[in-house]
Parts: sequence; structure tokens; C-alpha cells
Amino acid sequence: MNLFVNGNRRSFLRSAVAGSIVFPAIVRQALADDSDPLAPREPHFPAKAKRVIFLYMTGGVSHVDTFDPKPALARDHGKEIKADHPEIKDRPGYERIFLKRPQWEFARHGECGTEVSSLFPHVARCVDDIALIRSMHTSHSNHYNATLGIHTGSFAFARPSIGSWVSYGLGTMNRNLPSFVVIAPKQTYAGTQVYANDFLPGAHQGTLVAPGPNPVVDIKPRVPANLQRLELEALRRQDEAHFASRDFDPMLAARIRSFETAFGMQMAVPEAFDLGSESDATLRSYGLERGRTDGFGWQCLAARRLVERGVRFVELIDSGSSDNWDAHGDMLTHIPLAKNVDRPIAALLQDLKRRGLLDDTLVVWTTEFGRTPFNNTADAKGREHHPWAFSSWLAGAGVKPGIVHGATDEHGLRADEKPVHVHDFHATILHLMGFDHERLTYRHGGRDYRLTDVAGRVVKEVLA
Amino acid sequence: MTLRFSRLTFGFASIVAGLCAFRPALAQEAAAESAEYFEKHIRPVLVARCYSCHSGAKTKGGLALDTRAGWQKGGESGPAIVPGKPNESLLISAIQYESLEMPPKEKGGKLSDSEIAALTRWVKSGAFDPRVATERLGGMTAAEALSWWAFQPVPRLQGDASSAEIDTFIDAELAAHSLAPNPPADKRTLIRRATYDLTGLPPSPDEVDSFIADESPGAFAKVVDRLLDSPQYGVQWGRRWLDVVRYADTAGENTDRPLPHAWRYRNWVFDSFNRDLRYDEFVRLQLAGDVVAAKNDPKACADGIVATGYLAIARRFGHDIDKDMYLTYEDVIDNFGKTFLGLTTACARCHDHKYDPITARDYYSLYGVFDSSRFSFPGCEPKGRPRDLAPLLPASEVEALMKPWRERVSKLEAEKKRRSATVTPRPRLKEMAAAARRLLGEAKIGEGESAALTDLAGEPLASIPIRKGEVLQLSVSPNGNHGADTTLVELIVKENRAGGSRWSVAELIPEFLKANPQTINDEGVWCYLEVTDGPEFLLTRRESNGGDGRIRSWSIGGEPSVFVNDSDRKVNVWTELEPRSFFVHPGPNRPVAISWVCPRDGEFNISGRVADAHPAKLDGVSYRLELIASAEYGAALTRTGRTLSAPLPDPGPEPRIPVAYAVVEAEPRDARVQERGDHEKLGEVVPRRWLSVFGGDRVPARAGSGRKELAEWVIRNPLASRVMVNRIWQWHFGQGLVRTPNDFGSRGERPTYPALLDWLAARFQRSGFSVKAMHRLIMNSSAYRRSSVRTESQIAIDPENRLLARFSRRRLTAEEIRDGLLLAAGALDLTPGEAHPFPDPSTWTFSQHAPFNAVYNDTKRSAYQMVQRQRRHPFLALFDGADPNASTPLRQTTTVPTQALYFLNDPFFHAQAGGLAASLLTSHDDDARIARVYRTLFQRYPTSVERERAARFLRDYPAPQADALGALCRVLLAGNEFLYID
Repeated sequence: MNLFVNGNRRSFLRSAVAGSIVFPAIVRQALADDSDPLAPREPHFPAKAKRVIFLYMTGGVSHVDTFDPKPALARDHGKEIKADHPEIKDRPGYERIFLKRPQWEFARHGECGTEVSSLFPHVARCVDDIALIRSMHTSHSNHYNATLGIHTGSFAFARPSIGSWVSYGLGTMNRNLPSFVVIAPKQTYAGTQVYANDFLPGAHQGTLVAPGPNPVVDIKPRVPANLQRLELEALRRQDEAHFASRDFDPMLAARIRSFETAFGMQMAVPEAFDLGSESDATLRSYGLERGRTDGFGWQCLAARRLVERGVRFVELIDSGSSDNWDAHGDMLTHIPLAKNVDRPIAALLQDLKRRGLLDDTLVVWTTEFGRTPFNNTADAKGREHHPWAFSSWLAGAGVKPGIVHGATDEHGLRADEKPVHVHDFHATILHLMGFDHERLTYRHGGRDYRLTDVAGRVVKEVLA
Repeated sequence: MTLRFSRLTFGFASIVAGLCAFRPALAQEAAAESAEYFEKHIRPVLVARCYSCHSGAKTKGGLALDTRAGWQKGGESGPAIVPGKPNESLLISAIQYESLEMPPKEKGGKLSDSEIAALTRWVKSGAFDPRVATERLGGMTAAEALSWWAFQPVPRLQGDASSAEIDTFIDAELAAHSLAPNPPADKRTLIRRATYDLTGLPPSPDEVDSFIADESPGAFAKVVDRLLDSPQYGVQWGRRWLDVVRYADTAGENTDRPLPHAWRYRNWVFDSFNRDLRYDEFVRLQLAGDVVAAKNDPKACADGIVATGYLAIARRFGHDIDKDMYLTYEDVIDNFGKTFLGLTTACARCHDHKYDPITARDYYSLYGVFDSSRFSFPGCEPKGRPRDLAPLLPASEVEALMKPWRERVSKLEAEKKRRSATVTPRPRLKEMAAAARRLLGEAKIGEGESAALTDLAGEPLASIPIRKGEVLQLSVSPNGNHGADTTLVELIVKENRAGGSRWSVAELIPEFLKANPQTINDEGVWCYLEVTDGPEFLLTRRESNGGDGRIRSWSIGGEPSVFVNDSDRKVNVWTELEPRSFFVHPGPNRPVAISWVCPRDGEFNISGRVADAHPAKLDGVSYRLELIASAEYGAALTRTGRTLSAPLPDPGPEPRIPVAYAVVEAEPRDARVQERGDHEKLGEVVPRRWLSVFGGDRVPARAGSGRKELAEWVIRNPLASRVMVNRIWQWHFGQGLVRTPNDFGSRGERPTYPALLDWLAARFQRSGFSVKAMHRLIMNSSAYRRSSVRTESQIAIDPENRLLARFSRRRLTAEEIRDGLLLAAGALDLTPGEAHPFPDPSTWTFSQHAPFNAVYNDTKRSAYQMVQRQRRHPFLALFDGADPNASTPLRQTTTVPTQALYFLNDPFFHAQAGGLAASLLTSHDDDARIARVYRTLFQRYPTSVERERAARFLRDYPAPQADALGALCRVLLAGNEFLYID
């Protein structure tokens, strides 16, 4: 905001405006201050991770059937247990509960030997790049609250999303693309709140991309390019005259520039989402047919292209608030859901690695909670919501690869050993991005808010 | 005013009783152990030199010096004072710089010798310290709270206000900072500014012209008056209020249910601004309108209830709202504190406020007040239907509406009862039929097949003797009890004599719905029956099937039924229905029969066929043709049918009683403190009372919830006026005199012009809390009318324009952009919006898996758009609309490229630009069109350069004229001149 302190500089601008040919440069100069919310910024301390791909599985993935092998649960199948569990409290029919065996086999994989179930055969091959956390736990057993929690650190109130916080902390590396992109076929629980900026400046809100031929709202020009150029040219001339007669207000300059950026986005966004230039081998590895513009393979490949182009935070949501991992009725519904994401996720990790992007990209895989290792009958087909324990994993920049952190008890009921709460998970992600989670704050309504509320502890063991 | 003042003083007195109760000074020099000595020599030193590090939330080294308990407990090094023993007191050695060196150099260094002597003498005499009663109140000591600027009484002013006084405050400060105020804005800038400010819309070209033509000194004041009289004023300023109270049209719990009645509160707010409802009354009604509204005035009563929508629209949480009401109360207390007092009261939910004088007990005393009220319930997943909506009519009127209806209903019930008593009961009819039944023919019809009506040997039924009153019954049932099988029926009965009559179901088709039983053609009576367990008439009459008027039916509920295709064409529904055909549709285990009551004795030929008309891979149908040879049965059946099918008295629809989403009184109950905010860990009970820092008055016994008392305490508190005038100021100037409009506590900012803020608050009170009076006062000041061009010295000295040497340029809000676009296109509907087109509550099946989600588009002003909590309205989210989940005291303005994409490619934007272009076509040439569009959008004529450029643009744009004009309109509407107000 110190542009005009120097009278000579102002005079210079005046005279420069007279020769309007240099105007765009002046607009840029007027903006050479730190008022731009998306200007790239340094974190609190140097960090390897420059961007994040956040893979969110909607509905509650069963940990004991995927990433947390529990032989004792198989052994004790049918055994009655007692648990003061939020999902069964006062629930008719749940006066007695019984352990229920995992339905998939686990095997050791990679050099590290991490066990993964047969639901994720492709991801299993990537375990040497993954730091698996088997001791996740959360504060709520409702989808709505837990989904809000894993995204915002708040289990009731609307707060900024983790992607918004990262965008706020780091700005963006490519002005032709939004800093925070969410690719989701449907809305998940808690609606747009999961990627909302809330009180952070609007530039940090997640831009929703719905898989399909027109992924971003209003991105497709409505008039032919030559006409749009004529219009933009007229607009620029008109706005520049207005700007010159309005004391070179940077606020006005910012908007003039936003049209340049938008114009660029009209090409950059479709280009980023156009997978036409990808090789057949790449498409195949993601399990993608040429020409398709949906499916999780498409989402993953689009995510790679976005981070490649400097998008700071990409979140992929695999499904919506129904027909998801919420397997109350039948655990077998995990099969198509796992199949939907398994190969694409593995392909994404390998692709990032091959391109060297995994060195400065953090990949996060999580869900909102786990599923109960028990049910009200041992042969019940499904499992209930389980906030006490679930599995998440990290891979890529700054992450110690090929490790398992924490553990649940022998039946997968409680995160017993080195428990990692959602707040800790967030603190760790922010740490990997170069932030002290207690110092990445925003003053709102008289209080300094942060992603981790008043909690959070960095899980040092998963850091490289 | 006097009352207000004294109550406030009283309030403080009660918390600081100890420190104010001086003993009378008996001697010239007070004794060192006296209160007076402490007040004169000790407290001032402690406050001035020690408190900055050792009071309130700041207790360096663990030491607090603002209470006796503080130094008794001492800090990390132990007790600070040993009464009577200065030599053993750390405090004394520290101030003597013997142990620690206190106060440290960076805090002003060592105390003066006389101060050290006084403190030493005081300790020696026993360290009398009256500050026992000064328990900390959250984040402040009593002394701090007592002197906190925002809690001071508002001064009383006499005489009339003048806008020039505002300028006196400001100009003096500008001069002191060597800032020259800007000259007045030109008139077109000013009228555009004022019109957007007061109505959210631009002025019309005519309004601009007449203002420019009016050279009288009061010209601008007239414009302000005119704008204040516009109904659009209330929409603009009401919307600003809705920002603060986080208005939304959905509940926000896990399914984000619609609130079909919340709009009444929204419109009440708009209307209150338009009526210039006194602000004190505005506050009172929102907090306690149900209690305080005059009971003898039904309109006022209804308004009072609607006004409590302020409380009711609080966000709901979780799966079962009732279980998470403690979170809703937090939302209520949070918004209540911020909105009316500028205090962050909800910070005291888990522990005493860290910075402001609000305790957790205060929080739960307010909690009790709200918990003693009944909030309308919007429904939630496990409890689907809304309840506790407040009727807006007095009980007597509700009764007056409901009573006649209930009477009609009971008449109906009585008539039904009477009828069932007069008819032959079904079991009796069954007995009669069983005794006289004779099977004439039957057949099982395969899937999609057809069978003729024959006797049991398969021969035609050529001559069947039937006597008068006997009944021919053709019943159809599905095979294997699958039910729901559409079956075509043809049935013809011919009298075997010369000139004999002929009866056919085909003849029933044209007047099918006339009656059941129906008599056509020579006294033959036809009945449509369900015959599972004796005959029952199909009495549900339907003129259409799901809106298809070609299909008419008689049924019991949905099925079984008898129906016809009453058209000349095939109808394709679940199956293909031949034109002019007659069907029966039995239900599972529920055969349907067509009965014909014979009008006279004779011999009859019976023919026809039955066909499965809906091949659905099931197993077809069967028919039975029977003769019930009992004249008594035919007569009873006919009489029963006629009685039951005679039209019943229609009680009409249940009267709709208008209701509000509101709050009313419930059983008063004090709340218990929730330890550390955990609603399952309940501590002591706290009485319902006012904030202790303001006196902590209790809700009197038998007074109800206490909302009424709470409203009075708020209104009498100086914060109420200060906070509101600051908001008004902020909405005019873009920033408040206090730039933290929801926080007048210690974490908020101090006012830039404290005296001006006080003066405004005083004027507000003196005007009778008239918001419109404040607009007039503020807008007629020079400060409001200045130009917005920044000068170099302003940028250097006051870049944020806190001192108001100029007017701050601003962008249009989301609503102003959309309204402006619609208005430019001539498409804006200025009539008030009412209820949203939500689906009827009886159809709601919202769940957390499938929550409510809708965007309704209309052309009303944007303030009437439906706003959801869980899913942000896409347009409002794009242009920094208010947060529907938390108070938005001031809109942010962000500039992001996705907004620019909107101005490039959004269909709505293109449509409005097209509408504007179309309206311009009525002008006779491009020059006129260009002039007109500049006047419409920018309230000015184009310059010659602009004229020339626009004309060239139209010439060069390679498209038909209307399209080129549309393109020009897009350019102008996307431009900064349209989007910013100077």
C-alpha cells in the first residue's frame, strides 16, 4: 500500500498513463503490494511439501477390513463384548454386541512388509511409499460432524477447510488456476462447508469441479474467441480510463487483472482437465478409457495435472452422501467402492513418483471414521460408525515412507498405541507444509482461530 | 435517561462495593492501614506501574497484583508481601531493586522514592487491601471493567442535532494530522452513492436530472428524505441487519431442513426499517416480542411473535436437534452478545472470558433465560415433522376458524355413522349371497390371454333364467394372488325376447363416474365391488390417474379398482389400454366384481370376455361368473350401495392458521454450569440474571423466562446505542468508528473518534432511537459528501482512511450486483418476496444422506433469495455474501478471477445484458443508445471519446446489431464503473 508515498512515482505513473501503451504494466505496478491474498508466501519454516492431494473416502471406511489386520478379531468372531459406544447407546436391538470377523484376507507387501487387505491390491503395492497411521480417532460418530471435523477441525460449527488454510498460508503458484480445487462427483456430508473458506478471504474457497465435460462453472466462453477479445479489449480500455481517474486505486487494478487471469483460466482450466495429451499407457495405468471425463481415475489424473500446474491443494472426494462406504447393510458394498479408487490411487502415487512430483507433493488418504469391529449379531452383514479408531495414510514430500504408526487393540476397537486424533493429523499435515499449526491463525470476531482449535500435536514419527 | 444512568451506576456499585466504601477521612493524613490511604497512595501506583504485567490475564511470573489474594498467593517466588514485614516482602525488595528489579527498565524503571516509601509504610502497617470484593470478572478486574470505555454512560445532550457537529469532530482531527478533507463529490457521484447506500439500487436518470437541476441548499437533504421513504430502503438496511443476525432459510442441522416460515421474520425486519421502528422497540421485540407485544392488538401481537424469529433462526445442530440444543443456545448467546452488546459472550461457555469481564456463570445465567423459552422446532431426521410453530392469531381467532370446521367434520362423522347403521352389514350380505349362489362359469386365464364367458362346459350362456332382483356377479382375481393385474372386461346381458333390452359394461364408460351403483338403460343396476369377504363397494372416485384424465376409476384406496379408458385413443400407462375400454384391477387377495341387478324376470343371454391386459411375466387372472338368486340380496345390495355412495357433507380443507418460526415462553428453569463446556458435566445452578459486570440483576420470581427483563437490560445499557450507531456509521462509510463492530471488548479496536461515537449514541437516544434520524444526521454531514479520490498526503498519513478525509470507495455487494443487473435489463421485480417454494412439509424425507438442497431463481430483489446454511448460494458465495452460519458484521470484498469468469460467461449475466440491449433498441440510433446506456448504468453522459469508442465498437463488432449491442452492454456491465461506488 505504499505505492504512492513517493510523489515522483505518482507523477511518473501519470505521465506513463498518458502514453496508454504501457498501461498493463502500470496496473501490475499498482498491485505490487502484499494485498493480494493469493500471492505466494513462505511458510513458517522450510518444508519439502509444496502442495497437497487430499483423497477423501466418504462414509467411513472399515479399518479392520482394509488397512488394519486383526487376526484376533477373526479368532474371536461371535464373542460377546461390552462397549460404551456412542453408536449403540440406547439403541434398541443393540443391548448385546458381538465381535464380527474381517471379511478380507490381509497379506504383507513391499519391502516394509506392511499388511493390507485384498480390497486394495494396487495400493498395497505402494506401501513402501506410505506412512500408514492405524491409530486415528475422531470426536463424533455422525457423518455430518465427523466429515466436518476431518475437513475443518470443527465438529459442529462451520470453520475454514484445511484446503483453505493451506491456500491462506501459502498462496498459489499459478494464477491461472484456483489455489484450492475440489473434484467431487457429488456433494458429501455437510455440503459445501467441507471446502468453504468460512471467515478466511474468499480467494481461499475451494473451487468445485464436478467431473464431466464442463468441470468449472462459467469457464466455457459464450462468444467466439475473436469476439471475446474485442470485448475484453474494450473493457480494458474503459477500466483503465476509470482507473486513471480514480487515483490508481489498487482495488480497481486488482479487478482489471482478474479479467486477465480469468481469460487465461478459460484456456488453462480446460487444458488442465483435458487428458487428451496423456499417453495410452498413462490412461491405462489409471484405468481410464480415452475420452472419459469422470470416474475416480479421471479425478486422480486431473489431480496430478493440477498439482503439476501449481495448484496448491487438490481434494478428491470419491462419492456423495449416499451410496458410499457407509456399509451398515452389507460389508460387500466395500468391494465396488474399493475397486473404484484402488487402481487410480496407486497409479497416481506411481505417476507422481515417476515425474518427481512426489518429492514436493503430499498425498493424504483418509475417511471420516472407521467401522465397528462388532455388531448386534455376529453374522450381521454390515458394520456401524466407529469414531474410536480408523486408518489414514500419508505419502510423499516429507513423509517417512514404508512405516506403520500407532495401533489399535487386538480387536480394532480402540486406537490404543500412539493415538492420533484428527487435530493431530491436521497439525502433522500443516507441519509437513512448513507451518506451526499454533501459529497459522486468523483473527476473526475477536479471536485467533486455527485449524486445530486448541489442540493438535505433530506426529513426529511419520516425518522423514 | 436518569433512570438508565442510575441503574448503570448501581450495577457497578454492586461489584465494587468494597472498593468504593471509603471510611470518612477523620484525620488530615490517613492512617496507613486505612482504606483511604490505600486508595490515595497504593492503588494508583499499582494500577499505573504494576498492572500492565500483573493484572487480568497477564500475570508475569505468576504474580497478580490486582487482588489481595493475588499477592497473598504470590508468584513463582512465593508470596509477594508479608504483612507487617517489609524486609521479608519480595515486593518491597523488588521495588527497591534489591532482589528483582521491578518495575523493569522497559516499563518505566524504578518507582519514585515517595512511592517506595508509601508502599513500604503500607506493608509495614499490615498491607490493608480492600480488593477482596474485586473478584476477577473473567478477563478484567472490577477496576478495569468499571473504567472500560465502552461501558461508560452515554452523555446526555439537549437541543437539536446538526450534521455540522459531526464535521466539527472530524475536521479538528484532520487538521491535527495535517490532512485536508476532500471537496464534496459531484452531484451525480453523490446521488449514486446515496441511492445505493439507502436502497441498494442505482438512481434512475430522471432522479439524477432532477437532483442536478435542484440548486437549492437543501437539495441533497431532499434526496435523502425521498430515499428514506422508498420501500426499497427497508430491503437494503434490513438485509444489513440480517447479515448481523446470520439469517438463513434452513435450519443447518444434518439435513439442513427448510424453514418455511422464517421469511416472516425477514420481512418484519425490512418492514421495521421502513417504519423506522424505534431501535429500543426493535431490540425488545426480537428478544421478547411474544411477551411484550400489546395483547389487545392482534396485529401487534402477531408482529411481536414474528420478531422473535430472531431467536428461532439460531442454527440447529446434529442428527437429533433436541439433543444438541446446548449448541443452539451457544449460537444464540454468541449472536445475542455480538449483535446487541458488541461482546463476545459465547467465549465464556467453557471458562471465564479470557479478556472481557464475562464469566462462565454469566454465560449460563443467559443460557437459563433461553432454555426457559420454547423454540420452534424445524424437524430433523429422526423427528421429521416441524412442531411448536407459533400461531399468529389470538387463540380466540384460531378457535373461531377451527370451530366451524371441526363442527363440519363431526357432522360428517355423524353422517357416516348413521349410514353404516342403516345399511345391510357386509357379513349379512355375504350370508345372503352364500345361500343363493350358483356358479354359471369360470376360467383361469393365462398370462396375456383372453377367455370368453361360457358355462362350465365351455358352451355359450345363451338362455339363463334370472328373476327380478337377482344378481349376476362377474368376479376377477389374480392367479397365485399376485394382484395388481389389469384385466379387460366385456360383459353383455341380453333379454331373450322380442324388443328385449341389452345391457353392456361398454355403455357404462361415458358416464362411468356418475355413481356406484349406477342405473342405466332400463333399470339394470350395476355395482363395482370388492368381494374378498362379502361385497364391499368401491367408493373412492378418481377423475384421473396421476393427472391423466382419460383414465377414471372407482377403487378402495389405490387398488382394487374398476376403471375405464374414456378416450378414443390407446393410453400407454403401465400397460397399453385400448380405447373406450373397461377394466378391473384386483388387488393381492382382493378380487373385484361387477354385479348386475336384474330389473325384471326373464331369460337372458350372457356373453363377453375377460382378458389379462397387463402381461407382466406373472401368471394371469381367473374369473367366476355367478348368479346370486335372491331378490332380497339384490335389493339389499342396491340399497346399501346407494346409501353409502350418496354424497357426504364436505367439511372442506382444514383452515390454515398462519404460523411463525418463533420463540415463546416455556417453564422457567435456571441452568446449571456445564463444566468446561461439557454439556454432560453439570455443575452448580446459576440463577437467570443480567451480566454480573452490569450489576447482575436477577430475573424476578414469577417473571417468566427473563427475556423481557433481558431486553430491558440491553436497551438501558450504553452498549446498545453505541454498538448500533457504530453499525449505522459503518454501513454508511464502509468502516465503523469502532472497526470491530461485534467486539467492543478489550480485544476489539478503540474508536477512532470516541467523542463522535458518544455524541452519535447520545443523539440516537435523544431522537427516540430513530435510525432514520441517524441517516439524516450522518448523510447530511460534509464527511459523507466528500469525494472519494485519494490524495497523496492521505495515502501517506492515513492510508486506511480512518480519519475520513475522503469517502471510501466500495464495491457493490453480491445483492447489489444481481439487483443492478436485473434492473438494467428491466427485469427486476420490486414487490416483496414472501414464502419460498419449498416442498410441502408432508413430503419431506430429508436425511443426512440426502439433505435438502435447492436454488430457487426468480427476479425479486436478491435479499429475498433463499439462503441455505449447509450449501452456500453459488452467487452469494462468489461475491462475498453474508455467512449464513455466523454473524457477518461487515462484508469482505475479495477480487478473484472466478468472479471475472462470471462477467465473461455466466448465462444469467449474458441474459441481463441482452435484456438491456433489447431495451436500447427502441432508441433511434446508436448515438442515442450509447447515451442512454451510460445514463442508465453510470448516471452520466458518455464523453466524446467514450461515444466515439462505443460507436466504433458497435461498427467493428462482427455480429447483427442486437448482438453487438449486447456485447457493448456486457462490456459496460462488467466494467469497474458499474461495480464500484465512489
